[in-house]
Amino acid sequence: MKFAVQDAAKLRRGSRPESVILFSVAHQMFAIAADSVQEIRSADSVSGAAHEIDRPEMSKVRHTIERNHRTYYVVNAGAHFGLPTTRPTLVLILRQLRAAVLVDRIERMTEISAVHPLSRAFTGQERRWYRGLAYLDDRVIPVVQPSGFLTADEFRRLDGAAKAAASQREMEGAVQA
Amino acid sequence: MSAAEKSRVNSFVLLRAGDRRFALPASVVAELAPPLQLHTFPHTSPLVAGVIVRRGRILPVYDAVPAPSRGNISAQRFFLIARCEFGAASELSAIPVDGEGELATGEIELPPAGLPKYVVGTLAIGGESLEVLDLGALIALQSAGPQEHGPREVQR
Repeated sequence: MKFAVQDAAKLRRGSRPESVILFSVAHQMFAIAADSVQEIRSADSVSGAAHEIDRPEMSKVRHTIERNHRTYYVVNAGAHFGLPTTRPTLVLILRQLRAAVLVDRIERMTEISAVHPLSRAFTGQERRWYRGLAYLDDRVIPVVQPSGFLTADEFRRLDGAAKAAASQREMEGAVQA
Repeated sequence: MSAAEKSRVNSFVLLRAGDRRFALPASVVAELAPPLQLHTFPHTSPLVAGVIVRRGRILPVYDAVPAPSRGNISAQRFFLIARCEFGAASELSAIPVDGEGELATGEIELPPAGLPKYVVGTLAIGGESLEVLDLGALIALQSAGPQEHGPREVQR
């Protein structure tokens, strides 16, 4: 334990604390900056207002939700990170992005002393997924990059699909009327 | 070159990973760390098994020893911490090894034809010929492979 205590002290040194929300997906813990999350809702409470969206090549997004006259794309965090399928119970609605994230549970809100950049050894998609790594309570936790959930290209393709789905719903509504 | 400098140039750390013994130039080795917790999280980088925290740094752990020779990482008790080159930059990285390793001095010989490029030479120690590895070349070679076969699988 001596090593862990010394390491924690060194990792804390010379950095500014940041509030994060710790959440888990498929027993894997992640952190996200608290100020990048606008709202946390239960998945059940938003499911009634969700619309299906059909992009077979982007299986991580199956639904949209409307909040404050904006359409948010709901990203399944498990599918995004390539984790085993779970039953998410909560939705994190992000603040400056039209994205919401399905997660299994919120662990707690806490402060981290620093976000350590990813080593150059990491060369894959994680460079987009994470801002870096945090060391908290003897654990290394990836700090997610909110803008990494959907790329600009993915937003563009989803916007097209959402528009088509909305037109379809309007047509179906007109036929029923 | 002074005797001390020559000894540094010809010094190697001898290690074991699984059933394989190999040597690394001592100049790239920072330390042999005791058993530490391996932290894992989702990523798609080949060869990276996770990270360890050592002396206030979060270091990547490479599962760099070729698969047939390596044992289970959790069964390997020590971490060799070495400097790896990434283009112009270099970073400390770790590889899991068995046992504590030895420091040896010897003359490196040219590798026999047919060995992979990451084997930069051989070292004759006690009747045994050990391959001297260039860790950076080994990592670069093995990392390059899977990229040609579509999206990488997520590792945890």
